Amino acid sequence: MYAYIMRRLLLLIPVLFGVSVFIFVIMRIVPGDVAMTILGTDATPESLAQLRKDFGLDLPIYQQYIQWITGVLTGDFGESMRTGKEVLPDILSRFKLTFELTLISAVISWIIAIPLGVIAAVRRNTRTDFGVRIISLLGVSVPNFALATVLILVLALFFSYSPPVGYVGFFEDPVKNLQIMILPSIVLGTAMAGAVMRMTRSSILEILRQDFIRTIRAKGAKERVVIFQHALRNAMIPILTIIGMQIGTLLGGTVIIEQIFSLPGLGQLVLTAITQRDFTVVQGAVLFIAFVFVMINLLVDIIYSYLDPRITYK
Amino acid sequence: MKNKRNFLVLLFILFAAIITAGCSDTDEANSGDNENEAKGEKAAEQVLNIANDQEPAGLDPHKTPAHSSIRIYSQIYEGLLRFDENMEIEGQLAKEWEQPDDTSYVFHLKEGVKFHNGREMTADDVVYSFERILDEETASHIASYFSNVETVEAEDTYTVKFTLSEPDATFLSYLTNASAVVVPQETVEENEDLQQVAIGTGPFKLEEWVPDNHVTLVRNEDYYVEDQPKLDQVVYNTMKEESSRLSAIRTGEVDMTTLSAKSASLLEDQEGLNILDYQSLEYSYVGFNVDKEPFNDEKVRQALSLATDRQSIADIVWDGDAVISGPVAPSMGDWAIDVTEEELYQRNVDKAKELLAEAGYPDGFTTEITTASTYPDMVDTAQLLQQQWKDIGVEATIKQIEWGEYIDTWSNTSADILVGRNGSGTDPDRSLNYFFNTEGSANVWNFSNDNFDQLVEKGRETLDIEKRKEIYVEAQEEIINLSPNLFLVSPMNYVAVRDNVEGFTPYPHNGEEITEVFKK
Repeated sequence: MYAYIMRRLLLLIPVLFGVSVFIFVIMRIVPGDVAMTILGTDATPESLAQLRKDFGLDLPIYQQYIQWITGVLTGDFGESMRTGKEVLPDILSRFKLTFELTLISAVISWIIAIPLGVIAAVRRNTRTDFGVRIISLLGVSVPNFALATVLILVLALFFSYSPPVGYVGFFEDPVKNLQIMILPSIVLGTAMAGAVMRMTRSSILEILRQDFIRTIRAKGAKERVVIFQHALRNAMIPILTIIGMQIGTLLGGTVIIEQIFSLPGLGQLVLTAITQRDFTVVQGAVLFIAFVFVMINLLVDIIYSYLDPRITYK
Repeated sequence: MKNKRNFLVLLFILFAAIITAGCSDTDEANSGDNENEAKGEKAAEQVLNIANDQEPAGLDPHKTPAHSSIRIYSQIYEGLLRFDENMEIEGQLAKEWEQPDDTSYVFHLKEGVKFHNGREMTADDVVYSFERILDEETASHIASYFSNVETVEAEDTYTVKFTLSEPDATFLSYLTNASAVVVPQETVEENEDLQQVAIGTGPFKLEEWVPDNHVTLVRNEDYYVEDQPKLDQVVYNTMKEESSRLSAIRTGEVDMTTLSAKSASLLEDQEGLNILDYQSLEYSYVGFNVDKEPFNDEKVRQALSLATDRQSIADIVWDGDAVISGPVAPSMGDWAIDVTEEELYQRNVDKAKELLAEAGYPDGFTTEITTASTYPDMVDTAQLLQQQWKDIGVEATIKQIEWGEYIDTWSNTSADILVGRNGSGTDPDRSLNYFFNTEGSANVWNFSNDNFDQLVEKGRETLDIEKRKEIYVEAQEEIINLSPNLFLVSPMNYVAVRDNVEGFTPYPHNGEEITEVFKK
């Protein structure tokens, strides 16, 4: 197991190297000039040239890459070209928000999806089942920006409520923090729930048809034991795969939801940086997101083997 | 099963409780005080919450032209001069000034003005600040405004002398620019630049900037103007999504926000809100690459001007809240000419076709209009032009590009036709000399006309205001006639303000002055 984890961690190196080269080159190929976006139309050619020089953009591209990657390897992700802020601390502080948002959304989606998915499977082809399937289809198909905007408008127009402005961390002010986080989490959670619900239902249905379930039932086990201790646990592998991918994606930042709810998360950081051609921030953030994504996948693989002891890694 | 049902009911109650807790908190949050106590800051009586559509891009006044930054650092820093409400120049840090000859200006500074770090501001700081602006290494966006400045000297502690290389009528008005402000040398040296720190002489001090979240300014207790500012704290909240800003201003979570024309009409009847509007200094335009066929022929450009229905652009794109504009926006008052009578502004399809035929395009031609997808008004304008120009046989396709690429396209003139919006500046020199002089630093159109160049250069050197106005009238007519750009309309700007906010009046040249603002 440990050997497996080590090998997976070693595999991180080529993956991250590839990502770093890719994003570095892409940012320099896309049209647009950071000096021009910063200084605007009033800038003189001398000012523009000076700024490009300050950012090292006058060097050949391979030298720029070597400079940047040497910094990254020593933990120095550089400074934002636009704001002069150090990149890594900024990424980490925004990641905290994105992490919290992902966590609450995921919990909400599990609370909705797994019980409903189980109920739908157990009462297959009843009204309950159809109801759940319609709800899950809505969850999957309603775009989350639409749901978010409707939620904001309905709360403001009919209940005169809007979430407090100005994000605060959970440990600074838990109540205000939750008030801010609950609406975006509900929006993201319901969207995630749709897919998880469908997967739970179909996966449990498949398990319930298998021989070992019949054996357990024949032994006189209570239905609750059959469903929760045996069927659900065995059905968890595909569900977990979906959840892992959802979480990985969310941790990369949820651009639209963060924008609608004015949350200073990772998605906002990357979006602003891309539109401003803030190379150092985009490169740092993308590298970080790739790292998180790979780690989540590794974590999911490890959890597989706990859920199903037949899965072993060598 | 029963247990599970209980569990679900419990969870539902929990979420409902959190939401209700949020609802009941709204009223308290309105006063602003509770919010600050919650943050563990000192209780402040007068807190103004403003919703900003963009995150500031840095706070260094000499290096950051972004409007989202200016609205914040202009509360922190001050310059020698500023515009009063009638757009007349008045002293800010300068008490008075004189002009011993055509190329020198002597400013006498107010005494006892202190930076936020407690040190007194003196003539040396003015000298340092302008040296910093003019230093190539600073890469300041306003260096070009002061390219005529030869020397800046401190004559004594409170007297500064500027010597120019030639007479320059724009000098005083450029000194009112929000970026031409006085900064303390020690702060720049300690921090390398002023992007993250801010020490000025203005009415507000920077307390904190949490990226993509908020900037908090607090009252400068030592401010040299008595009874100003009236607010104890101003919080600029970054809220990029217009629907969130609308909901926050409706419910009183914020006290003030800018709005688009379309949202302004939505909020008109909302209780507890005032919608203020003012004519902006901006205008929309069509720019041609005049080196390229067919736009190298002024007849083609004139034909397109005659085929353009500017009033319908004002009506459709801006809901009727825009005025037809020339190269100098109408809110510049006396400087702007009345363009509605200009021949090229009267839509005339037959005349346009005639001109096209004379230019050798009797059946029209095909072309491409490039615009920025980031701004819906630019896209809408491009679509209207596409339809209007069809009437004279010009078939245009529209290419929408993202903002970073758009700026690139603008500066390299890599599009044949560009639809955009320009700021008219606060001096006609900017809208005429800077955009259309052969040597103008923003003349990206490859436009060159000797007569026009002479006019705007004379305009810059003429110190007599009446004579200067005459020159610019001629220059405006000349540029409309040559049509390197088609000037379209100048929109209104909107601000929504809660009705307990007093003392706020937006002006075209300063839409966000808050020193007199207080809350009832």
